[in-house]
Amino acid sequence: MKSTTILFIIFLFFLNPVFSQKDTVNIHTSAVCDMCKKTLEKDLTFEKGVSKSILNLDDNILTVIYNPEKTNVDKIRLAINKSGYDADSLKADPKAFNRLPDCCKKE
Amino acid sequence: MTKNILFLILFFSIKQVSGQIKIAGSVIENIQSKEVPLTGVSVFFIPENQGVFTDNLGEFSLNLPVGFPAKLVISFPGYTNDTLEINSAEPVRILLKKSVNLKEVEVTAKKEALAVSTINPMNSIKITQVELLKAACCNLSEAFETNPSVNVAYKDAVTGVKEIQLLGLGGIYVQLQSENIPEMHGLAGIYGLTFIPGPWIESIQLTKGSGSVINGYESTTGQINVEYKKPMDMEQPRFFLNLFGDERGGMEANIILKHTYSSLWSTMLMLHGRRMKNEVDRNHDGFMDIPDNSSINIYNRWNYHKANKREAQINLKLLSDEIKGGQTSNVVSPELYKTMVNTKRAELSGKLGFIYKDKPFKSIGNIFQISVHDMKSSFGLKNYNATESSFYLQNIYQNILWQSNHQYKTGFTYRYNYLEQHFSGLPVIIEENIPGIFFEYTYNYLDKFTLISGVREDIQKNEKFVFIPRIHGKYNFSENFIVRFSGGKSYRLPYEIANHLSVLASSRQIVFNEKINPETAWNYGINFTKKFSIVSHEITLSADAYRTEFVNQLVVDSYTDSTKIFFNNLYGESYSNSLQFTFNIELLEKLNLRLAYKFEDVRSTFNGKTEQQPLVSKNRALGTISYVTSDEHWKFDYTLALEGKKKLQNVYYDLENNGKQFSPSFTIMNIQATKVFRKFELYSGAENLFDFRQLNPIIHPENPFGNSFDATNIWGPIQGRRIYAGIRLSIS
Repeated sequence: MKSTTILFIIFLFFLNPVFSQKDTVNIHTSAVCDMCKKTLEKDLTFEKGVSKSILNLDDNILTVIYNPEKTNVDKIRLAINKSGYDADSLKADPKAFNRLPDCCKKE
Repeated sequence: MTKNILFLILFFSIKQVSGQIKIAGSVIENIQSKEVPLTGVSVFFIPENQGVFTDNLGEFSLNLPVGFPAKLVISFPGYTNDTLEINSAEPVRILLKKSVNLKEVEVTAKKEALAVSTINPMNSIKITQVELLKAACCNLSEAFETNPSVNVAYKDAVTGVKEIQLLGLGGIYVQLQSENIPEMHGLAGIYGLTFIPGPWIESIQLTKGSGSVINGYESTTGQINVEYKKPMDMEQPRFFLNLFGDERGGMEANIILKHTYSSLWSTMLMLHGRRMKNEVDRNHDGFMDIPDNSSINIYNRWNYHKANKREAQINLKLLSDEIKGGQTSNVVSPELYKTMVNTKRAELSGKLGFIYKDKPFKSIGNIFQISVHDMKSSFGLKNYNATESSFYLQNIYQNILWQSNHQYKTGFTYRYNYLEQHFSGLPVIIEENIPGIFFEYTYNYLDKFTLISGVREDIQKNEKFVFIPRIHGKYNFSENFIVRFSGGKSYRLPYEIANHLSVLASSRQIVFNEKINPETAWNYGINFTKKFSIVSHEITLSADAYRTEFVNQLVVDSYTDSTKIFFNNLYGESYSNSLQFTFNIELLEKLNLRLAYKFEDVRSTFNGKTEQQPLVSKNRALGTISYVTSDEHWKFDYTLALEGKKKLQNVYYDLENNGKQFSPSFTIMNIQATKVFRKFELYSGAENLFDFRQLNPIIHPENPFGNSFDATNIWGPIQGRRIYAGIRLSIS
């Protein structure tokens, strides 16, 4: 019985993120192809406070779901720049941009 | 003539128009920013599926079947399909794009580990990187350990080499190719899969049943096509490093370097090295459980790629592999029983392909391959040495007959082999010159029905013609319910000792009573695949039934006399019946469960008696669970395999089995976890977690030079639990 309770509590911890506050922001990026989508979405999973990001290739808009207590929109834009992509009016980090595959360098 | 027919058809379709709404339009593509009409494009309304083809000017017109809005599908092989919603009778203009773009789209679509194609008319499974990374996966044969269709088993207790089985028959009956070039053919066949390092592989296509006639007269039970990592693939990093180690001191390193010179030229260098040196003898039989193994493998490839025009590649492969096993240094004996298999191989191959301008359906492909394979082996006092030099040439011409839904491929192959063998001192030379021609026709009825029928004719030795017919079909009851069928003949030249090298790890006398004729077999099969969802849980069900029937076979008879092994032609029947059921379910997002059951009944005629083939289990079940966290930073994999009892070889005196006819059934469990970081991945796992072993795999290990020594009666794992860890690092 005791172990079941402990298991249940552990389980609740896993569910915890569901209860924490979540905000959503749409950021216009310079990511244009499937390679970009992969790179950018993967990079953002390593960004603190970001729980999910989806790039729509039709309009190049990245939808980011994040926890406002841990990060903010400016930080997210900066993270996109560090991956080599423009984020709204902020330009990409040139070093990171140069490392991108050719298909991602097109405007 | 065809034009007239077309005109007539057009005329008829115009006649019918009166009173109905007609939709007219044109289909074009962009070539260097010029608009070019596309001919022979299939245009149809769904779900009615009544359609037409575009004419020479890329134009079409057809009746609106019901009313607005209607869905119009534009489909052309080699191009991305397009679907339009038609809301008015205005002419439409459709721009089709070459499906190079389609491929990129597919990559981002959810990557399934084992993707069952709904397009391919053959019963193929594509094993992607996702699946390959589930096992420690040092080489291609181990890559199949999580695959329900393929069994992986040890052949003997001294070389540590695993062999695959498909449809209950050995790996030699499966045709191995890499990017449609023959791979590890002939002499290399038996150990071939272990020479292909897992980290070099991009994906594997496993096809059950007869393969296409284009690729040759072999492929009795199936085909394995390996796609190596490619230099022009932008997803491949410039530098990739994989290091792997296990608790017993086995080590492995893989390095892959990529360089792009221009948009046309690119190259890749792949290096693989492994070393296993640790005298382990857990069952104290005086024999090493795992032999020492060291291997160096190099692959350099150059690619020229001009989209939709020309493609060329040159591949150079070098290999050196050494396996040393036998009695440990602790054994006190005037002479130790030692085993050794040394392999050296060099191979140069290339491809050259042209696509006709503005006609993506018309192309010419050429393949060549030159290889030298050298093998030296000894098992105690027995030894077998062989060198094989081969040359292979293939030419394929591909085009359509009047419409794009009638495609054909035709061409020729030429194979030259020179094999020099020394078995216990006696030289045997086999020279082969095999020219062949083939023709294969593919018919597509919209997206519903596909039929491939092919024939080939090869001139084998003594100017004997060999005719090979094959047929494959696919019918879609609906988009997610498919039936496939296949049937065909196959032919292969057996390499008596080389294909059954492990028989040397026994003191039984090897007896050849007659000349072995080529192996001929028929294979038929049917497969049903259904995909559906129950409350957003995606489920895939699949059922297979295959039968292989030998007309002639090299029968290795270990039943008739316990002191001898006979190599005979087949007198009587020999067959394999295989049934397989697979169930796949997505339990939660990114939590997948796969269950599979397989029944295989494999029998052959040994000295007039039809018996079950030894060491093949009738029943086998496999379960895998894989889970990926939502941020994809953690991956977990679990595999459980159950293997039923197997009939044992007739053995003189069997210490462990004590005259028993069957081996016990057993269970193997594997686990693995992977942590993904920004630039690298760490993984760790355990194979055979329960540490299940066949305790005494060698019969009479204390007297290896005596009459009753036998290390070939292997039904289970020889190695116990194996804990490993590794790192994968990519720099792009």
